[in-house]
Amino acid sequence: MAKKKKPTNKIQRSISRTSRPSENLNSAHRTYTIPDWRLERPQFSVKQIHVGDEVRYEVTGDLSAPVPPIRESKYLTKQQHIELYRWMLLNRKMEAALENLYKQSKVVGGVYFGLGQEACSCASAYALKKEEWLGPMIRNQGSLLVRGFAPSDIMMQYMAKAGSPTKGRDASSHFGDIDEHNVVAPISTLGDLIPVLAGVALGARLQGKNIAVMTYIGDGGQSTGVTYEGLNFAAVQNLGLVLFVENNLWGYSTPSDMQFRVKDLAERAIAYGIPGVIIDGTDACQVYDAAHEACERARRGEGPTLIEAKMMRMKGHAIHDAAEYVPKPLFDYWKKRDCVARFKNYIVNVTKWLTPDQDRQLIEDVDKQLENDRDFAVNSPMPEPGTAAPGAYCENGCHEIKPKYGVPTVRRANNTTLKRSEAAVHLE
Amino acid sequence: MQLTYLEAIRQGIWEEMERDPAVFCIGEDIGIYGGAFKVTDGFIDRFGPERVIDTPIAESAIVGAAFGASLTGLRPIAEFQFMDFIGCAFNQISNMVAKAHYRWNAPAPLVIRGPSGGNVHGGPFHSQNPEMWFVHNPGLKVVCPASAYDAKGLIKAAIRDNNPVIFFEHKYLYRRIKEEIPAEDYIVPLGKARMAREGRDLSVITYAAMVFTALEAAEVLAKEGVELEVLDLRTVSPLDRDAIAQTVKKTNKVILLHEHPRTGGLAGEIAAIINEEAFDDLDGPIVRIAALDTPVPFSPPQEEFFLPKVSDVVREARRLKAY
Repeated sequence: MAKKKKPTNKIQRSISRTSRPSENLNSAHRTYTIPDWRLERPQFSVKQIHVGDEVRYEVTGDLSAPVPPIRESKYLTKQQHIELYRWMLLNRKMEAALENLYKQSKVVGGVYFGLGQEACSCASAYALKKEEWLGPMIRNQGSLLVRGFAPSDIMMQYMAKAGSPTKGRDASSHFGDIDEHNVVAPISTLGDLIPVLAGVALGARLQGKNIAVMTYIGDGGQSTGVTYEGLNFAAVQNLGLVLFVENNLWGYSTPSDMQFRVKDLAERAIAYGIPGVIIDGTDACQVYDAAHEACERARRGEGPTLIEAKMMRMKGHAIHDAAEYVPKPLFDYWKKRDCVARFKNYIVNVTKWLTPDQDRQLIEDVDKQLENDRDFAVNSPMPEPGTAAPGAYCENGCHEIKPKYGVPTVRRANNTTLKRSEAAVHLE
Repeated sequence: MQLTYLEAIRQGIWEEMERDPAVFCIGEDIGIYGGAFKVTDGFIDRFGPERVIDTPIAESAIVGAAFGASLTGLRPIAEFQFMDFIGCAFNQISNMVAKAHYRWNAPAPLVIRGPSGGNVHGGPFHSQNPEMWFVHNPGLKVVCPASAYDAKGLIKAAIRDNNPVIFFEHKYLYRRIKEEIPAEDYIVPLGKARMAREGRDLSVITYAAMVFTALEAAEVLAKEGVELEVLDLRTVSPLDRDAIAQTVKKTNKVILLHEHPRTGGLAGEIAAIINEEAFDDLDGPIVRIAALDTPVPFSPPQEEFFLPKVSDVVREARRLKAY
């Protein structure tokens, strides 16, 4: 069983030394530690129970604890806090705009929300450099904004417009860009981005550059086999993967208690032989600091890091899902821990880095940006039907393939002639 | 230089790695061991562990990592120890890789290669021809060479192609066939069939090891005065529609031959192309010869019964000739 450590000021040390067996090699029992940076450790579980003729979910445990403060960041400047706050606001308000567009029947299909998870999306992506890479999951729309995509890009994706990043060919956060934004488009199945992002780091390393690459997996998605394959590969190859395990307690309608038996998903790091850390996913400062340290490790060529961010998905799986299966006390508990409200309180009331007037101004500014983007997206055309046909193949020089970071180093050799191989006897 | 089919592939990959520093290999046991069939034997000594990467036994990770590296402008070659195991990575190939260019304008210049095919008594998991799983996947190219010359030229073309290419090497041919290979650099273009034997009476459209089955049948039939034409497709996606139509227009009678099971097999697709391109030129029914609709059995007498044989082609050709 993992032993919990109190948060330490020597975070750098703890994160790089976690998940390793204790130094007493003579001990018959090995102990491993996973640092937990949270300022509260809620204990509750969700189970299926019979109530009359019905089976429903029930939450047991103490949900009365007061809301913890924001944990002071070791790295963010005052200005960065404000920028990050703006990203989170933009993320939240853009999703509210998407909900309205859906209700006005302007959206094709459903809408996916990251409500309650904006700190995790925005503050994680905020730790990456421009030349580094990110692979978002369906709820990480905030990450896409931070990577430089416009709210109108995401709106047009949902409205299936010709001008959407995928030109109408795919929806939601399912888009990317290899030239400027360095974002890998996700696919609907879960965990598949993990080996891909590891491969991006591998590609960059072959070109002489250690970069941080970041992706996400949920408490539901981490059950897939490719999650294991990808993270294990990154660990073995010592690739700079930063994996955020977003434990938002629900995989569609299945509670995390029915996805895994470990207490904390960060414990999985032990099995991969990589550092892991538990953070409060509703605290933007914890998210950023953990992401920053993991990115720095990646850039030093020290390999992957697993960060478990605990929070709750505050809406259903998608807009069609009212999430009535979620016990109400859980919503009440996490609503008090709303990541945007807490960060705003930290910036306006605790640190007073923004006056209430400046805050209002910032909110107005975000609203105005979204209004413009919304108008642009709504008024942009649908694709011509025939645009469905081309593009399955890269043809006629539509792309020039060349190493992004530089020509890979080539070993010098005195003899470059291929020797004849020995005969293999396998299935001859 | 006389090279086996396997040596030709090996030389093709080696030359591309010498020519282009963006090319690298990734797969299971491909480094010091040199791969289960020794295709990359000696590569790690020349190119180092950076460009000849041994992986855990994790096919999805191999394909995913190769794809990720290709996004940074490299040209990975992912080896599957047996193409039977490609099912483990099917989601990565079909949903992640094949759809990337269409969905988000991301080219994926990677090659996924490995041994396929039966007649080596490998049993249900070391003998399959799973190419049809990928033919039905827009965005992928699927290559199945039958000669050593083609194997080298096609692997080089596959590596230089900007699309994901699934490259099926027939393990029965690995060390059984040997040909003169030119010393200079050459490629064989993807999507172009090859006339393996000219004939005027009947056409056999086939590829990979079945080309030799058809050629042997042609020898038998030639003694009876029946001239078989054998078209080797070389690439099964995209198919060379022109070459298919041309041979049908020439001989007016056609046999479609493949090593994978009959139902949902490539013959059905080729028959549809013939309907579309050359229906009026047919002087007889389109004949299919394929493996049984079963897994590949292990025991030699059973496997022999499962696979299309020279005698099957001879029998069907006689029947069609007389039609």
